[in-house]
Amino acid sequence: MKDGDKTGAAPPTTDDRATTFQAVQGGQEHYSGETLLVSAYAVLWVVVLAWVAFIWRKQGDMNTRLFDLERVLDKAAAEKTAARKT
Amino acid sequence: MSGAASLNGVGRRTSLDPVARAHTHPADRFFYPLAALTAVTFVAEIFFVFLRAPVEVRMGIVQKIFYFHVPSAYAMYLGATACFAGSVAYLVRPTDASDALARAGAEAAIVFGAIVLTTGPLWGAKAWGTFWTWDPRLTTALLSVLIYVAYAVLRAFAGDGSAERKFSAALGVLGAANLPIIHFSVQKWGGQHPMVITGKGGGLQHPDMKLALVLGFFAFTMLAVLLVWARTRVELARSRLLRAEDDAIDLGLDTRTEA
Repeated sequence: MKDGDKTGAAPPTTDDRATTFQAVQGGQEHYSGETLLVSAYAVLWVVVLAWVAFIWRKQGDMNTRLFDLERVLDKAAAEKTAARKT
Repeated sequence: MSGAASLNGVGRRTSLDPVARAHTHPADRFFYPLAALTAVTFVAEIFFVFLRAPVEVRMGIVQKIFYFHVPSAYAMYLGATACFAGSVAYLVRPTDASDALARAGAEAAIVFGAIVLTTGPLWGAKAWGTFWTWDPRLTTALLSVLIYVAYAVLRAFAGDGSAERKFSAALGVLGAANLPIIHFSVQKWGGQHPMVITGKGGGLQHPDMKLALVLGFFAFTMLAVLLVWARTRVELARSRLLRAEDDAIDLGLDTRTEA
């Protein structure tokens, strides 16, 4: 600006500062298609297997409750048999 | 609970026991063949998607997400339809089976909806340059999954009484109202979401691309049926167990209090 001041030239306008961004040829992609595809495929099976695990857990919980119920029934049946004998 | 005495000393009934076998549903014997067929179809689907279907000229390899994104969306519709059918059946005539089907269908809609809502944005990152946009189809699909999440949360925390089941069934019926909105949102409201399978233009331009998609539809349909079936069976068994526990308490056999 000092030179401009000396010569009396006008300051640069916004048009003078117009900039063009150009991509580097052969540069890396922002998102790799291979990575996205593998991620999508992995997500598919992780979600399905998570649901299978959820169902498995439900079944496990039922097993425990069924075991408790069987124990109670066995105890009641044993008491009934003992009462008959006496 | 009349079986208590007969069970005592005889040993527990197993699936090989003729009495126990008589309690299994006749359709259950088709489960394993269907599971095997599903596995074979998935192997074929993987072969066609990754090894045979050509890479798309503009999008590149990421277009292959399409072959399981679209069938997942279809499977989500199947789950939601099962939930709708079970809910309507429960409201008309309340049974454990219809309630179990509705619950299994809702969970399938969540699972396959989650796959759709994850694989779609992964494709969008490449195709649109962004993972998410509030496009009508994306928004309505998200809304639909949230409705079924609400259903699952309601079932998990609101108890398992008749009133809760009826309320859930009403939600299951209302949730299905969003399905046609998802489907027609692209036509009515525009947006960015592409339409490949239409009657006017578009489409897959290579026979192997078409075969990969058709196999995907078959594989995901069978997977959805298998999972809904398995989940329904577990839920039905749980209902029977709850009744047996209640009976044990009523007969004074069990000292625990009712939940």
